[in-house]
Amino acid sequence: MTAAATNLSRTPFLRRYMTFTGLTLAISAAIMVFEAFAQPSIVVNTLVTGGMWALMAAGLAMVFGVMNIPNFAHGELFLLGSFTAFTVFSPIRSALNDDPSLAWLKAFGPVPGMVIAVFVGAAAGLLLEALLFRPLRRRSREQWVMNTFLLTAGVSVAAVNGYRLTVGNDFHGIPAYWDVPPIDLFGVPVSVDRAVVLGIAIVTIGLFALFLQRTTLGRAIRAVAQDETGAQMAGIDLNRIFLLTMALSCAMAALAGASLLSLFPAHPDVGLQPLYTAWFVVILAGLGNVAGAVVGAFIVALLQNLTIFYVGVGWVDVLPTALIILILLFKPSGLFGSAVKGVWEQ
Amino acid sequence: MNNGRVLDVDGIQAGYDLLQVLWDVSLHVDEGEFVALLGPNGAGKTTTLRTIAGYLTPAEGQVSFRGRVITGAPAHLVSRLGLGYVSESLNLFPAMTVQENLLVGATTVRDKARVAETFDLVFELFPRLRERRDQLAGTLSGGERKMLAIGRGLMGSPSMLLVDEPSLGLAPMATLATFEALKSLRERGVTILLVEQNVNTTLRIVDRAYVLEQGRIVLQGTGEELLHNPHVQAAYLGI
Amino acid sequence: MNGATSIVTTRAAMLGLNRRRIGLLAVLAIALVLPYIPPFTGEDYRRWLVGAAFMAAQAVAFDFTAGYINVVNFGFAAFVGLGGYTSGLLAVQLGVPPVIGMVVGAFAAGLVGLLTGALTLRLRGIYAAVMAWFVGLALMGIVRNVPEVTRGSLGLNVPSLLESAGNLPYYYVILGMLVVTFVVLALVIRSRFGLAFRAIGQNLAAARASGINPTRYLVVNFVLSCAFAGWLGGFYAHYYGILSPDVMLTSHTVEVLAVAYIGGRGSLWGAAVVAFPLTIAVELVKVQFSTLPGVHLVLYGILLILVMIFRPGGVAGLVQSAVRWWDGRRRPEVEASTAM
Repeated sequence: MTAAATNLSRTPFLRRYMTFTGLTLAISAAIMVFEAFAQPSIVVNTLVTGGMWALMAAGLAMVFGVMNIPNFAHGELFLLGSFTAFTVFSPIRSALNDDPSLAWLKAFGPVPGMVIAVFVGAAAGLLLEALLFRPLRRRSREQWVMNTFLLTAGVSVAAVNGYRLTVGNDFHGIPAYWDVPPIDLFGVPVSVDRAVVLGIAIVTIGLFALFLQRTTLGRAIRAVAQDETGAQMAGIDLNRIFLLTMALSCAMAALAGASLLSLFPAHPDVGLQPLYTAWFVVILAGLGNVAGAVVGAFIVALLQNLTIFYVGVGWVDVLPTALIILILLFKPSGLFGSAVKGVWEQ
Repeated sequence: MNNGRVLDVDGIQAGYDLLQVLWDVSLHVDEGEFVALLGPNGAGKTTTLRTIAGYLTPAEGQVSFRGRVITGAPAHLVSRLGLGYVSESLNLFPAMTVQENLLVGATTVRDKARVAETFDLVFELFPRLRERRDQLAGTLSGGERKMLAIGRGLMGSPSMLLVDEPSLGLAPMATLATFEALKSLRERGVTILLVEQNVNTTLRIVDRAYVLEQGRIVLQGTGEELLHNPHVQAAYLGI
Repeated sequence: MNGATSIVTTRAAMLGLNRRRIGLLAVLAIALVLPYIPPFTGEDYRRWLVGAAFMAAQAVAFDFTAGYINVVNFGFAAFVGLGGYTSGLLAVQLGVPPVIGMVVGAFAAGLVGLLTGALTLRLRGIYAAVMAWFVGLALMGIVRNVPEVTRGSLGLNVPSLLESAGNLPYYYVILGMLVVTFVVLALVIRSRFGLAFRAIGQNLAAARASGINPTRYLVVNFVLSCAFAGWLGGFYAHYYGILSPDVMLTSHTVEVLAVAYIGGRGSLWGAAVVAFPLTIAVELVKVQFSTLPGVHLVLYGILLILVMIFRPGGVAGLVQSAVRWWDGRRRPEVEASTAM
């Protein structure tokens, strides 16, 4: 029975059946896009959440591509970012509200929180690499992927519950960073917070792409992803690249958490949805494919927003999962995946 | 005494886990020399190069480069000292273009003018690479990949190059072209230690050679001497 | 010269009494009498013992895939929950007796395991792990979203397995289930399947080259593990009497995998044995810090990290190296005595 199940993929019947399903999928995709444009709010929500998932997923994909680590604790960096931003922003906000003469500073109030969140995230990434991954790497690289997956699962559970123990189970959120009337985007009223979030995502991903493509250090990161020995031959210190990769990836996740504070208040479990969404994206796009992750993030965001709009919030995990499983039937290595292991390139 | 001694390998014992591959291997290469390390499959030639380049730490013995002990130093530091390594499997970056591969090779070179100069040198040695500049390394032919690997090794401006079996899997014409390139590199002052199985051709272009058998150096001498050595003739040249 | 010892060892082998078995039987004997030894005579402690045996059985089923074919079923808790909900719903809606419902639950979990495995196990291990996680998330989402059937987050009240309200009979039931799980999976490991599992877990490419169809073995392994998870989930449902979607939380999977890895991956017995002291210790910590939720998860997380970095063999690995050290120390004496 099991043999039959596994050999099916080679039978012409299944191939025909798969072509049919593929067509159905493609048509559904077209309908979905059409539906989305019939509902401009879906487009806006897709862009906003998609931008943030892209920040999460790009970092996750990069860490897998460069270090071969499937980081299960990636969502905890989101939590770290949102809590840091909350901690920094709250006193600033009350100071600005108390003193009317500082009103002109209000527009910049959220900036320190976000910047500090980025640095705290980067520091956490450095610590993860230096304290956990490096000792494990030194001991053995056998079954590395699975071992680091479990290691980060331990980090995730310990971090979430450690946060629960120390900070508590309350929601630490803010109504909005910018308490101003919404602006008009494609005829849809969009809060300034969301517009800024989208802006942050676009700028960050643009800079990140430029960094990977155009700078010596970015090229070195991609080189390590494609061939560690080759990179060492070129005089590249792997340990430094690993530190840098973790710092970048964690900083982006923390930035996502900080930017979305008004939508996702800090809470022990706040990292869960960003985590599995980022994983949806990365599996969909192909492990280790950063550019694919950016595109995939918007696809997954579209799926989620369509599900929320037409089916219900509760199904937001179920339907995209089913679709991703279907897609993986056809493209086991992901939508844009290929045999080549590497960051950024397909 | 150390006049122009570039590489000095002194009595190294090395291997993998419980399997010892190298038994008391000693060799040296002087400034500007073109030296070959010959021997049959599995003799330990690649292991020797890997040990010198820092990918393997010997259990005993010492490797020094320009008077500095580099035994057990991490590979990237050895490379930064100016000891380039072109491995048998090449270790190119398949999803990068030819140009990007070369640029990565120059990662540690800060001087932009120097990088541009080496670019010219590499393209002069291997005009094919200039044509294929924007092509992904993964799509190159076998011969072009060897050229790119050697070219990338040159981008860090090494004073010495370790080259592992450049003729492996190449057609005779491509092999010849590779050897020509190595020869002209030597003329430009780059010291070379070449590992080869292609004994006949190699002995005609190198200054000196060592013969490694079952992890031990069994013979050494100038190319000329070894070409006339009865053991070499019987075992490698089929005379 | 060595006649005496060799006869003794062959006779022991004929009885199937090698050292490992003697050790395991001794542990089983302790587990059998444990609820009559203070402080385990108290209901609280007996409840913890039930929890410990339940954890042990789950960890064994988990280790069967993680430790042998090197695939981490990250949706394990969801398969446990699937078995529980299947059995629970059958009992609530159709009045099916729990004992039968639990078997049906095992089949349901095995079936979903078959679908998941057949789709994902031909991919790299990490894909299978993550896809199993997705399937688990989806299962949890479904249970949450059909409150008409499952009562969603309100929780489903499930009839009890036994008439008795005390923990003692439940303890013996789950201990029996633990023994069955262990013996069945250990027998599979000892069969030709076990050899194939290990070969595949260690080197997929080499196993394929030697003529093994890896996917087939991987799927068999995965389905078995999922089916046992479902069966054990049925016990959970009919023991606690209430089911909520939270049973399927990923953090429960991490608990199980922490126990399995602390016990020692690829040993089966390490996970089974270690679950007892670990679960009891965690419960004691919980009692001490009862105001703080999740303290046990912090402990499991940190222990898991430490084991992964410093003691990849876990407790089983420690015991094995201790035994080896002891043998090495004793062997000369043995030879000396037989020589006389």
